[in-house]
Parts: sequence; structure tokens; C-alpha cells
Amino acid sequence: MKFLRWSAVTLLLVTGIIDLYYGNSFAGFYENLWYVMGGIYIFAALVIASNIEPHFSQLTVFAYTLFLWSVWATVALETGTGLDAVAYADKAIEVFLAVNMVLLFRSSRRV
Amino acid sequence: MTGTGFGKLSTARLLMVAAIIAIVSGASVGLGVGYVIHYDAPTTRTFYMFDRSLPFNETLFKIPHDTFVPDTITVNKGDHVVIHFADIESTPEGHTFTMDPPYTFDAVVYKDVTQGGGVAGTFTDVPGAILGQSQTATITFTANWAGTFRYFCEIHQPTMTGYLVVIG
Repeated sequence: MKFLRWSAVTLLLVTGIIDLYYGNSFAGFYENLWYVMGGIYIFAALVIASNIEPHFSQLTVFAYTLFLWSVWATVALETGTGLDAVAYADKAIEVFLAVNMVLLFRSSRRV
Repeated sequence: MTGTGFGKLSTARLLMVAAIIAIVSGASVGLGVGYVIHYDAPTTRTFYMFDRSLPFNETLFKIPHDTFVPDTITVNKGDHVVIHFADIESTPEGHTFTMDPPYTFDAVVYKDVTQGGGVAGTFTDVPGAILGQSQTATITFTANWAGTFRYFCEIHQPTMTGYLVVIG
């Protein structure tokens, strides 16, 4: 479980940093939104690392990951934006993160 | 957690409910955001720019008779801007295309109007480029800052001045 927690923290930090980078390098296109998303991921990494209310926070992070993935997919389908290498990498990591959160949540509920 | 509604649900059911709520709300927000940004997503905007000499006596009026055409270009923040600038003077007279900070640009200056004569110079991240008679330049930059910014010819001030309007 410890491994799953720290891998989640790592993935959250990586995704958060990518979001901040994306907001910065693609300035002008709703960069503030990317900063907020990245900031929330980094905050979530701290919460998961601290193990505060683990059941609630793990489920919330899982839902947040799927929520952002779903937002990206619909916006991309509708407008054709956000279809670039950085976004693909970000979303691929989010898939791993979602799976990681499922495994972490399941193992923490068993304890 | 035990004893509450949250705790009573099985792990699989909790994950399922959370996933459905997240995906449905995400799709709803995504559709809304997609609708809002649909018309102003960053795009490449291409402009053709020339110098123009107005028909008055420069010596008499004590100002240059040169201007930019167009003297205003309007883009959205985030747009990739491509300007094809041509010095169409009929006499040997140079012009610069210079931008006020924070804007800089990349430029390829060609030896002649047809661009068949080859490249006279390539510049990266510069505030200005100079063209001689019949030379052309392809100027590119991304409109990262919203506001109104001056572009001008350093040789023919104050008349040869235009404005880049970036809508943010």
C-alpha cells in the first residue's frame, strides 16, 4: 500500500507539473485553467502523501482525474484543441494515475 | 467511515459511482467549455504588409511620407502570427519592421520580392529587421500578451507606425 501511495504522489506531481508547463508554454489559451488544474494536482499530491482522510481523499482524487480526462476528451472532440504531444502525455499519465488510485483505494479499504 | 452511508457501500460500488459522477460531470463541463472556446481557439493568422508613400512633400511638412499598410493588425491572444512584409519602394529606400517590447519575432529576409533570389538573412527572437528596396521578409511570432503594441519603422518616425491589437 505504501508503494501505491507514493506512486500516486509521484504521478500527481508529474501531472501537476505538466499542467503548469502546459499553461505556461501555451500562454494565451486559457492558461489560468491549466494553472488551477496543475495546482490542484500538486495539492492533491500533498494530501495523499500526508494520508489525510485517506478514503475520502483517494476517492476524490480518482474522481478528479476521471473528471479532467472527460473534460479534455469532450473539448478535444468538440473543438480539435488540446490534441498535441504534451496533452497526450499528460492524459496517458492520468490513466495510470486513475488505475493507481483504484488499487490504492481498494487496498486502503481492506485495512 | 464505518456506519456512515459512505462506509456502507462496497469498494467496487463506491468506485463505480465516483467514476460515473466524474465522467458525466466532466463531459458536461467539457461540452460547455468546448462551446465557449469554439470560436476563439488559437490559429495561424497571416497578413501581407507593405510600405506606402503618401503624395506630399516631406521637406515642406517636415515629416516622412511613409506609412505601413495595414497600420493595424488584430489577432486573438495565443494566435500564431505570420506577416509577409515587402519593401515596395520604387527608389532605393530601406524600412525596418520593429516591435515594442515584450514582443520579439523570428524573421527570414529574402533578397527580392519573388523570394527566388534566395535568403538574405535569418533572425531569431529579434525586436526588429531591416529590408532594402524590393526585399521581403516573413515575420513570425505568437501573440502571447494581450493589449495594443506598436510596430514601426525606425527610419521613418513618427509616421510609419502601426499597432498590433491582441484581444485577450
